[in-house]
Amino acid sequence: MKKGLIAVIAVVAVIIVLIISVIGGYNGIVESQENVETAKSNISTQLQRRADLIPNFVETVKSYKDYESQTYKDVTAARSAVAAANTTKEQQQASEQLDKAISVWVNAVTENYPDLKASEQYRALQDELSGTENRVLVARKDYNESAKKYNTMIRKFPKNILSGIFGFEKYDYFENDASAESVPKVSFD
Amino acid sequence: MIYMSRIKRLLSLVLAVLTVFSLICLTGCEAQKKLEPTKKLFVNDFADVIDEADENTICELGAALKEKTTAEAVIVAIESTDGEEISDYALNLGREWGIGDKDKNNGVLILLASEDRNVYIAVGDGLGGALPDSKTGRILDYYALPYFEDDSFSLGLLETYKAVANEIYVEYGLEPGEGYIPADQLKEKSEETTDVKTVVVSWIILLAIVIVYMLIFRRRGIMFVPFGGGFRGGGFGGFGGGSSGGFGGGSFGGGSFGGGGAGRSF
Repeated sequence: MKKGLIAVIAVVAVIIVLIISVIGGYNGIVESQENVETAKSNISTQLQRRADLIPNFVETVKSYKDYESQTYKDVTAARSAVAAANTTKEQQQASEQLDKAISVWVNAVTENYPDLKASEQYRALQDELSGTENRVLVARKDYNESAKKYNTMIRKFPKNILSGIFGFEKYDYFENDASAESVPKVSFD
Repeated sequence: MIYMSRIKRLLSLVLAVLTVFSLICLTGCEAQKKLEPTKKLFVNDFADVIDEADENTICELGAALKEKTTAEAVIVAIESTDGEEISDYALNLGREWGIGDKDKNNGVLILLASEDRNVYIAVGDGLGGALPDSKTGRILDYYALPYFEDDSFSLGLLETYKAVANEIYVEYGLEPGEGYIPADQLKEKSEETTDVKTVVVSWIILLAIVIVYMLIFRRRGIMFVPFGGGFRGGGFGGFGGGSSGGFGGGSFGGGSFGGGGAGRSF
């Protein structure tokens, strides 16, 4: 009888330890996932911020004729595509499209109206635009770092068992370098 | 006795290991070129371009700003970022040092790379309202570039620092320092430079008058030394005050940056 009691106690102890470590591991994954989600929403915020800058630029160039050309229509189309994007991949593609459209448009406008470049408002807008550009890059880099941490966590033993049970999914990465190469830079000089 | 010699042996072994490790660390650190904040905290002149007096002024301004607003504004002057994008360099340095309050993220890093001829102001997210990128760029245009173009880095950094601090004061609903002009009311750049020119010209005229006086007095046979001494004594003694000692050993609040800010090449 005594031996049986000891065995029962041992089994209960093992189960308790297991439960505690499962709870700890699960919470660790959730915390890491929360970090990724925060970083992800930060990217959206910055993308939205950039999209919001466009009306400012329109305001700046309003006094110039023909600003609303084909290139501007591309920008508005790309802008609404960013807003409509659901997944990380879609958002990335749409924002790359917007990047391209903005720089093509800004370059086209400034080529037609060289004196625009000298204006105070235009300089201010350039600063906002490149600052936001930088914020987007930083937000993506931060996202990638947190996503990497999370992805490694859910694939490593023993947490891979937990993530299998609870169905934690891997996050996609942003590929900054690829997009930086394909996007023509807005020339500020 | 046996124990003693054992302890000694053990100690020498530990020492040897420590030496090797510290050597490795030293070479490793050198390769990384990790910058540490200097004792002055708010002004870190690794390029040796800032005057002692200006450093002390900036330190006092920085300490006052932190005390009143918790915001931390820091100047770092280096020679070169070694090929790294200056915005990235500033971001990483600001995050590493933790400039600004941990929860408010209200840090500002003014980074000058004197030999690259680049300047960048990184602004923590918590100060996005006080210093949006456009305003930051404008501050650089008006307060930094006119001086930097003539290589007067010290004065340019001081003026920029004052402008940044004033914007932060206004954001926190406090009185800005002397000579504050809201960034969106800054007028043409040329006015700023003529102001500097007038100051220089008036100084030259004053000096000429003094020299003429000295010559006249000399001819009359009066010693001009006391006159010279009196001139020097006026008003300027107060600057280099010993207060800089009080800034030693501080550290930043642990704030972070999100990539906001503006930069210029000159």
